[in-house]
Order: sequence, then structure tokens, then C-alpha cells
Amino acid sequence: MGELEVEKHVKYILLVEKRKDDFESVVMEHLRMNGAYWGLTTLDLLGKLETVDTEEVVSWVMKCQHESGGFGGNVGHDPHLLYTLSSVQVLALFDKINVLDTDRVSNYIAGLQNDDGSFSGDMWGEVDTRFSYIAICCLSLLHHLDKINVEKAVKYIVSCKNLDGGFGCTPGGESHAGQVFCCVGALSITGSLHHIDKDLLGWWLCERQVKSGGLNGRPEKLPDVCYSWWVLSSLIMIDRVHWIDKEKLVKFILDCQDKENGGISDRPDDAVDVYHTYFGVAGLSLLEYPGLKAIDPAYALPVDVVNRIFFGR
Amino acid sequence: MSEEGLYCEGDPLDLLNQLEYILESDPLIDEVGFIHPSQFVALNEEAGGPPPSSVGTVLQSADESVKSKISNTNVLNTVFWNRDHKLGISTKVLLPLYNAAKHAFMAANEQYKMHKNLSVERDGSGNGSVLSCYSTSLNILETQVMKHSRALLLLSCDFGTAWNSRKLVLSKKQHFPIFMDELLLSALVLSYSPKSESAWSHRRWVIKMIAGKCSNLQEIVEKESELVKKIAEKSKMNYRAWNHRCWLVSYMSGGQVLHELSKYRDWAGLHIADNSCFHYRTRLMLRMLEDSWQKQNVNGCSGCNFEIHQVWKEELDWNEMLIKRYIGREALWLHRRFLSLCWIKHFATDIHDASCHSDHKTSTSHDMVIFMDNELGLFRSCSAILDNDFEDFQSHAIFSATYILWLTKQVSECLGIELREKLLAGEPKTLLNKVCLEKAFLWDSLGGLCGCI
Ligand SMILES: [Zn+2]
Repeated sequence: MGELEVEKHVKYILLVEKRKDDFESVVMEHLRMNGAYWGLTTLDLLGKLETVDTEEVVSWVMKCQHESGGFGGNVGHDPHLLYTLSSVQVLALFDKINVLDTDRVSNYIAGLQNDDGSFSGDMWGEVDTRFSYIAICCLSLLHHLDKINVEKAVKYIVSCKNLDGGFGCTPGGESHAGQVFCCVGALSITGSLHHIDKDLLGWWLCERQVKSGGLNGRPEKLPDVCYSWWVLSSLIMIDRVHWIDKEKLVKFILDCQDKENGGISDRPDDAVDVYHTYFGVAGLSLLEYPGLKAIDPAYALPVDVVNRIFFGR
Repeated sequence: MSEEGLYCEGDPLDLLNQLEYILESDPLIDEVGFIHPSQFVALNEEAGGPPPSSVGTVLQSADESVKSKISNTNVLNTVFWNRDHKLGISTKVLLPLYNAAKHAFMAANEQYKMHKNLSVERDGSGNGSVLSCYSTSLNILETQVMKHSRALLLLSCDFGTAWNSRKLVLSKKQHFPIFMDELLLSALVLSYSPKSESAWSHRRWVIKMIAGKCSNLQEIVEKESELVKKIAEKSKMNYRAWNHRCWLVSYMSGGQVLHELSKYRDWAGLHIADNSCFHYRTRLMLRMLEDSWQKQNVNGCSGCNFEIHQVWKEELDWNEMLIKRYIGREALWLHRRFLSLCWIKHFATDIHDASCHSDHKTSTSHDMVIFMDNELGLFRSCSAILDNDFEDFQSHAIFSATYILWLTKQVSECLGIELREKLLAGEPKTLLNKVCLEKAFLWDSLGGLCGCI
């Protein structure tokens, strides 16, 4: 079995950040904040965060904040919960949450809760359990969960549970490993995991493992490295991770590396990107791959960062 | 001068003007794609001879200055290709074109927002002529925002700020056709990026805006469903598309739900690997169940149950037919899990609901016995691997075994025991350990969960 090409992945991530001369990279600029979170968390898990200029990152993140308190995906872009969580997570990596007016950010998030307990992603009202997770995760990191109606938020998430044990975007939506992660993560953070039938959900989740060892996100789909994170973290949170073959999954992820230029792709021999590089490394971290920092399955941040926030170093 | 030189050195703003001009002149464009320069030659040859019809019309109706500008930049149609309401954009110009569109949009949007805020502040200041002059410039800015955001979204489908700016402009309008135009733009974006989350979300925003105000909502919902079908044919297992369709169900009438279920059955039979399309059927059927419970609560009639009972039976039979015809399809087996579970919960146990908790453990309803026997028969016929190494047959056997195990665990306790007694000495588990060893961890723990198997 090959090994994790740590140095090459670090080089790849630092390089990707600077690419601005082709359409494919420029056209992603509206979600640069997510990209920053993926890239920087990967560096931290690999133990190489110190290669980055903290001040540069922090001042850029703060330039993306709006009067409302929410963050945009880049300077000049509209705020959205998707980017607000990434911003808070990036600041957390650098132990810089203190630069935030946490009241203002929390009020922005709390203002997006609807009467039925669900959350809109922004002022335009699209509802999705992903936004429930983001709101709960973010408020928890900011120590402001008391600003929302947690009971209603949990009730809404539970209403999105399907008969197969999985969760969808809204009530009646198809189960999807990404949505499952969000719902399980939110229930875990709020101490509400008893709403889950762990055997039933665990069954659905471990049926995501295919012959190659990789995981897919839904039935009949090809395996994809990013689901190593969504499925695995969920299985850990509901204590059913021993139901899958971990060794084969490690091998699958390692087979998706670009051994020459660094980076990880969705499947062996595909083109690499930062998103899958992060989920590959995060997946390996959950699998306790040697040399990697441990990652928290609910907050999607290195465990030492989470401990710093909740237990003060 | 080479063709390449023309658009490389050409002003990106010219490119943007040209794109926006084409979009305005041909509002019925329903498909856009990015084309490699080499494909232009083929496209033009295929078209043969006369200039593409729509660009031709455009040029005839254009005033002279724009006309010459367009023909100058778009020499030999090497940048934009427009015919039969299809638009092709050369991959060579994507970067400069995107940059020009983004800057034009961001500038217009910023000005528009500033202006709008000012006008809110001025509200009630009462100077008529100033206000009217003000609203004129606001109108001009609105037009700019709409024009540039449209061009930008054809190049970057998930540029959220551009979608938002359109919502901001539209949210004050009452004019119905404008909202229909948004559905067209979203469909156009989906034609090149069928998974664009923002484009799907924009449709939902539009529908929510008009839902209370229009008389033809049913018709719109039907068209939406049709659009998802069209996109799902080209873009397989598209979660975003099917999620949109599931979302539509809450806007459907009871009749529409039933109609959707029967209308798209054949389609599902042709797309048996698309789990999302079976989930959509799940969604429709659960909606029928909900409706029938509500009716029962209101009327107290159990007769309303008959129709849905029939629907369920037909779906079960149809699913069994598909399972036997298409070997080793996961989505079909998962759909069966859903159908069987609901059948047991809501139909087969209707009469003897209480018996389960009483001492008479043998008094399971007659319906239930027949049903369980049928499922066991299905499992046995599908799990017989005739020394067959073909992967599909192995998968078939695995799916049938996990199906019956899953059912055993999900049905209420007393029924489970009965079913287990019939499963001779751990039949499914032995089979799973034989053909699906990589999941041994799961099967082992299930042994504990399911008691005797
Ligand atoms: Zn992926």
C-alpha cells in the first residue's frame, strides 16, 4: 500500500491558493471562503499550518464580513451561512475568534431561524438541514447556542428523517450522506442523538461501502473520497464505525492521490482538487492514519482546536 | 490578421456587449454550452452555407453601429455561435468574458444598492420632481443589474450574489411575466450546469413569490416536474434536480400526486438504477398516505383507504416484476424495503393490530402470512446462485439477503420472530458470509441484533 504524500499535498495546497490565471480557478472565487477552510484545515491536520501568514488570512476573512454580521464567500460577495461557518472555522484554526464581535455574528445566524425551527441560508429564504447544522455548529463554537430555539431546531431536523434511517434536505427529501452528516452533527452537538435509530442509520451508512473499499453518498453511485468524511464521521458519532472495513477504505483514499504533484481526487486517476484533498486527509484522520492530527467528527475541526475553544487550552 | 489575434487583443467589454446583445435579441435561447474553438468549424460546416438564422435575423434588425461591431468581433462566428435558439460560447474567451461580466455586474450592483438605500432614506421628503428623476435613474440601474447578472450567470452558475441581485430587483415587482422570465433564465443555466444549486434554489424562490398570487399554479408545478424529468434524462442521478421535484409535491393537489405516480411509472421502469426517481415515488406515496389519514380523521371512513391500498399493491407487484427482470439493482431492492415496511405497518396489520401485543402470537392476519411467504419466496428465488460467478448475480443474492434481514429487523417484534422461524437456520447470513465477506463486520453484529439468525 502507498503512503500519504504529506509534503506534496502541502505544496499542492499552497500552489492552488495562488492560481488566478485560468477560468476553472477564477470561476470558483465566489466560494473562496470554503476553499480557505478546506485548504487550511488540511494544512493543520498535516501539521503545517505555520507555513501560512496568519495576519494575511485573518484580515482577508474580516474583509468578507457584512454589516449584518454574516460573511460572504469573498470580498464584495453577499453573506450566507455557508461562508459564515467557514469564516468562523478558519479563525478558530488560528485561535483568532477573539477578533470577532461574536454577538453580531450570532445575531445574524439566530435571525435566520424560522418558526418551524428550520434555518434559511440567507435572507432569501432557502431552507435546508445543512443550514441547521451550520447554525448550530457555528453558534456552539461562539458559545451562543442560547440565542436560538434549540428544541425547535432539533424537532425540524428529526422531521427530515426518512424510513431508511437517513436524512434529507427538507421533510421528505431523499437520504444523502452529506445531509446525514449535517443532521447527525447537529443532533450530536445539541446532545440529541437519542432521536436517531442508530442500528437503522448505521446499516444505511455502511451499505455505502462498495467493493473497492470506497464509500458512496447514495445507493447506486460510484465511490467518492469526499464521502469518506460524510459517512465516516456520521458512523463515528453514532458509534457504528466498526461496521465498515477501515483498511480497505484507507487504501481507497491513498489510491486517489496524485503522487507526482500532490492533491487527492474523488476517484483513482481523476483530476485532484482542494475539496477532495481536504476530505481525503480528514477521512484518513478519522481512520487514525499515523502522523495526522485527530479531527473532531461533529465540528470538522482538529480536536486540539475544539478543545481550545471549549476547555481553554 | 489571424482570427485568434482578433479576440485575444479585442476589448473584453466588446465581448460582453456582444453576448448581452445576443441574449436580448434572442430571448428564446434555451440551451447554452461552452465550445472548443475547433468545434466552431464543424458547427459552421454542419450548418452549411448561409449564416446561422438567428444571428442573421439579429444582424438585419440591428442598427448599423452595433451590427458592424458584432460582425467585427465575431469574425466567422468564432466566439459566439447562435442558431435555433442555441448559444455556444468559445472556451477561448471564457476568462476575459467572465472578468468583464463580473466587473460590470459588481459595479452596477453596488451603485444600485447605494441608490436604493438613498431612495429609502428620502422616502417622504416630498420633492416630486427630484423623486421622479430619482426613480428614472433607479430604473436604469435596475436594467443594468439584470443585464449584467444574466450574462455573468451564464458563465458562473453559482455566483450567488448575482442571483440575489435579481431577487432584490424583482421582489418589489408585481408584474407576473417577469417572474416567468426568471424560470426561463434558470432553465437556461441548468442547460449547461444541471446540478447548479443556486439555479434550482432560484426557481423555488420564484414559485414561493407567485404561489399565492397566480391562478395557474397547478400548471406551473406540472411544468416544473416535466423540466426535472427532461434534465434527469441527461444528468443521471442528479440529487438537486430530484430534490426540487420532491419539494414540488407539497404544492400538488391530491389528484396531481396520483397522476404523477402513474404518469412517470414507465419512465422509472426505464431508469431502474436511478435511486432518486424511486425516492420521488416514495415521496408521492407517503403524501397519499398522509392525505388519507387526514380524510379518515375528518370523515371517519375507512373506505378512503381502498384506493391507496390498491396503489400500494400495484407498486409492490410492479417492483417485483422489475427485480426479476433486472438482476442486481440496488435501487429496486431499496424501494421494496420501503414498500414492504409500509405495507406491513399500514395495510396487512390493519385488523389484527392489537394481536401482536396479546398472548395469541399465532394470530397474525391472513394477509400478513401470505405477504411474508411471498417475500421469503422472492428471497429464495433470488439468492439461488447457480454456481454463477457473474457479479450481477452475486449482487442480486446479496441484495435479496440484506432485504430479508432488514425486514426482519424492522417489523414489529412478534412478526419478526415468526419470520425468523421460517428463515431456516440463518440462511441469509450464511449466504452473506459466503458472497459478501467484506461486510462481515456488519453481518456479525446483525447476528446479535436479530436474535436467532
Ligand atoms: Zn466528491
